[in-house]
Amino acid sequence: MGIEKIEIKEDKTVRELIAELNLSSVPILLELEGEVFYPDDRHDRRLKAGDTLMVIPIVAGG
Amino acid sequence: MRVPRLNRVFLYDEGAAQALNLEEIANYLRKKLGKVAIEVRGNPFALYLSPESILDCARGMASIKIHDATRRMLSGPEPLYGEIDYERRRILGKTRAFGILYDGLELQRLFFKLIPREERSLQFVHIFFTNRLFATWDEKDKRYHARTSVYGIPSIISTTGLVEAPAKPREYYLLKQQFEMLGKDLPELKDSFKGAFIDYEDERLNEVVKGYAMQAVFYSLVGDPFCQDKGCRLYNAHWQEELVFAQLGSDYEFCPRHTKFLEDGEWALKR
Repeated sequence: MGIEKIEIKEDKTVRELIAELNLSSVPILLELEGEVFYPDDRHDRRLKAGDTLMVIPIVAGG
Repeated sequence: MRVPRLNRVFLYDEGAAQALNLEEIANYLRKKLGKVAIEVRGNPFALYLSPESILDCARGMASIKIHDATRRMLSGPEPLYGEIDYERRRILGKTRAFGILYDGLELQRLFFKLIPREERSLQFVHIFFTNRLFATWDEKDKRYHARTSVYGIPSIISTTGLVEAPAKPREYYLLKQQFEMLGKDLPELKDSFKGAFIDYEDERLNEVVKGYAMQAVFYSLVGDPFCQDKGCRLYNAHWQEELVFAQLGSDYEFCPRHTKFLEDGEWALKR
């Protein structure tokens, strides 16, 4: 999984988005409006239809 | 493939091996990345941690120690005073000792908090070099595996991980057991494998780290730090033999695809 840009189609919370994308056990960061955060630090943040979100996976090497 | 604009690369020394020369790494990145500014920032704790936050940070560090590599750490036990005090001294730069295994993803998360909010972006590549050894949990075989690096914001490259994470030749482990049983000196064993793997304070360390720094750069550019080509510096080596070949032995630095990507330079933010 690389960095993915997601356009939000309908209002929802970060928690709902993560569940929908089945990413609850995947280490990721999210970027929204220039702010980067861990999803579980902003679970209740509202995402609005039309928002563009960047899903940034955290990757281990070696 | 995502191709953003790269603004700046910051290199931090969080107690990495003394053989590591960050200026040499910075000069290498300058050659490879042309227009992108490269800045050596030194110790991130000294830069960003206020005196009143040191104890909280030390407690955080002490609480992400892995005590048993076969048990997933969910919420660790409350760390002991001595463990917190060790981390406090480590943060203050009063010791560079190592020998503790940390959860790599949690460590990355603690380091994330150190980065100024306005620089938490893929336009900035933050690379923390450390001698802390870290591991990540593998759900398939239900155990932690030591890692060389974690790529995120920031990316972390472990000079201890470069020694310990990629496996040494199988014969080495067999002979090591025999040496230990016979009470023979391990340096003698290491001498017989000279050059086959990266060791502590290895004179080749800087050359190896250049490739890992480029993995962090590619992570920020395209979200994927790795390449399938075993001769490319972006190859994700799981064996020391692979690491030595990709970083030191290959006839080329980067595969044709990644060479072209670097040469195009479209990703550099115009300054």
